[in-house]
Amino acid sequence: MDFDALYRSQCAGCHSRDGRLAAARPLNDPTYLAFVDPTALRRVISEGVPGTSMPAFSQKRGGLLTDAQIDVLVDRLTEATPGVRIALKLPPYSAPLGDATRGAMVYQTFCSKCHGAEGRGGPNGQSIVDPAYLSLVSDQALRTAVVAGRIDLGMPDWRGYVPGRVMSPQEVSDVVAWLASQRPRQPRPSTP
Amino acid sequence: MLRQLQQIAQWFDDRLHLTKLFASTAGHRVPKSSGSWFYVFGSGTMLCLMLQLVTGTCLAFVYVPSADEAYTTLEYLTYEQPLGWYLRALHYWGSNFMLGIMSLHMAQVFLFGAYKYPRELTWITGVLLLFVTLGLAFTGQVMRFDQDAYWGLGIGTAIMGRVPVIGAQLVNLMLAGPIIAGETLSRFFTLHVFILPGTILALIGVHLRLVLTKGINEYPKPGVPVRRETYVEEYETLVEKEGVAFVPGAISKDLYFSAFVMLAIATCAAVFGPKGPEGVPDPTYIQTAPQPDFLFLWVYSVAALLPPYTETVVLLVGPAVGVLALLALPFISNTGEKSARRRPVAVLTVLVAFLGLGLLTWAGLTSPWSPHMQAWTSDPTPVAFVKGRSPLELQGALVLQNKQCRNCHALDGVGGHRGPDLSTVATRLTRDQLVRQVIQGGGNMPAYGKNLSPAEVDALVAFMMTLHPANELPARDATLSVRRSP
Repeated sequence: MDFDALYRSQCAGCHSRDGRLAAARPLNDPTYLAFVDPTALRRVISEGVPGTSMPAFSQKRGGLLTDAQIDVLVDRLTEATPGVRIALKLPPYSAPLGDATRGAMVYQTFCSKCHGAEGRGGPNGQSIVDPAYLSLVSDQALRTAVVAGRIDLGMPDWRGYVPGRVMSPQEVSDVVAWLASQRPRQPRPSTP
Repeated sequence: MLRQLQQIAQWFDDRLHLTKLFASTAGHRVPKSSGSWFYVFGSGTMLCLMLQLVTGTCLAFVYVPSADEAYTTLEYLTYEQPLGWYLRALHYWGSNFMLGIMSLHMAQVFLFGAYKYPRELTWITGVLLLFVTLGLAFTGQVMRFDQDAYWGLGIGTAIMGRVPVIGAQLVNLMLAGPIIAGETLSRFFTLHVFILPGTILALIGVHLRLVLTKGINEYPKPGVPVRRETYVEEYETLVEKEGVAFVPGAISKDLYFSAFVMLAIATCAAVFGPKGPEGVPDPTYIQTAPQPDFLFLWVYSVAALLPPYTETVVLLVGPAVGVLALLALPFISNTGEKSARRRPVAVLTVLVAFLGLGLLTWAGLTSPWSPHMQAWTSDPTPVAFVKGRSPLELQGALVLQNKQCRNCHALDGVGGHRGPDLSTVATRLTRDQLVRQVIQGGGNMPAYGKNLSPAEVDALVAFMMTLHPANELPARDATLSVRRSP
């Protein structure tokens, strides 16, 4: 089984080819690949993330890929992980939500320069508190975005928001909690 | 020694009358002008039939005509049996060549006026041979019991089912039941292997018999029309005066052409291989865009391009009119000029027919009306459509991929072409119109309201609102400003 063929036919639609700018994260960003937990990656590919645009690919879940094909994808994507993970001193992949109130201050410190004081968009970043946007991304996706950034979109990673100041794992969890608290609790009534 | 051999041959000939048989068949006299390159297509078609009989018999040694095992035996033939793939390829390409050369034969006979008096019956048996051959091609496609075969049969059945009054009975007769099931394949196997080949051999018998009794058409000369009163006499004089024995006088070009056809089939089979088998014939597997075999692509195009309200009429009346026209042709134009140089309408008919079939086949090959089932996971959103978009708009781009909008709608020309390209959709529809179109569908597009959450609609529409050229503003509702003002 050929990783490239699988990737091009199954992943490239959203995650782009050759690491080019894409709607979803390009899957050749070394920081992200070091950050992601292989077990979680396998689960996400197989079962998808309910409520988001990541579909389930496992045949057991109505997708087109066999377990062996999913293994090929996961193994190749995470093969260089362990070394990089240690070298980068990455925050843990998953953690419970932190404190939203503290998160609001963390936001002001690390994020408001680009995304604006209230998160509705600023000079270099656009709104990240749009209710529809927050409804379509998981807490883990927010956490991943905070830590690994979106290098293809020009968003730095957790080391680069404030020069000389790396976000601590607690700060990451707190700011994610603040973002999650902006998400509308009830689904809105249907669009006209 | 030689004497003895001659005596033995003589002994057999006394009993079997082989020399006489030869003289009255292969050795019969034909007009010298028929030894032309234009007259090689009939024997070419027959050669293909011989090849089909031989390869088909070989295939039948392995093939199991049961819905359970057909696919497995096909895979065995294609991938495990030594040279099994080549055998399948020969049979597949043999059928393509057979119908191809047959159409050339038909066009030649038509253009040379060979169907005119007294060879009406030769033409009619030829037309019947064409239908039987098409039947063989269709049933053969079903033998390759894969996705394409399954859906091809489904479409054939759906057309049959439209026949008024007896539609359901016809479907029952064809499928051995109301649906494609176990017995269906046995029925088609019997048709493909016994009934149709038997019919074709019988018809060829009559066809060739008529070539012997009514003679082969002389190369037509402009200005020499057929007259019922004098033609037979003229023809007999011609054959007597400057006729040659078919063997050996006129057969050489047929042999060259046959050799060329064999070589072409063998080469195509080796280079392009057999067709399929495509995916398993599983009706629950919908990730497929089935296409009929090359020969029926034009039918597929017609069916796809017809406006819905004309379908029943065109699909049922069209073939009937076509069949009647072909059968009636020798009686409609029974005498008169034979040469194509004096029959512009005939030349135009052939040109239009071939151009039409060719263009429809081309349309069938590209089939822009079919969704591209892989587009949503394999065609990346073009970079220019992602650059500078907000997180919400990016989510919208993901919804567009994930909900498989791409399978029918292209972005920047890449993706399906069933629906309009969305690259500049924001210049055509306002935000409200986009929301309505997505939720309610319309104009051939299904409604997606039930498959999208409000947030997904918001994101999708936000993304689509960015799809306009930099120097052209998105469409806006001109009444909005009026309604808002007091």
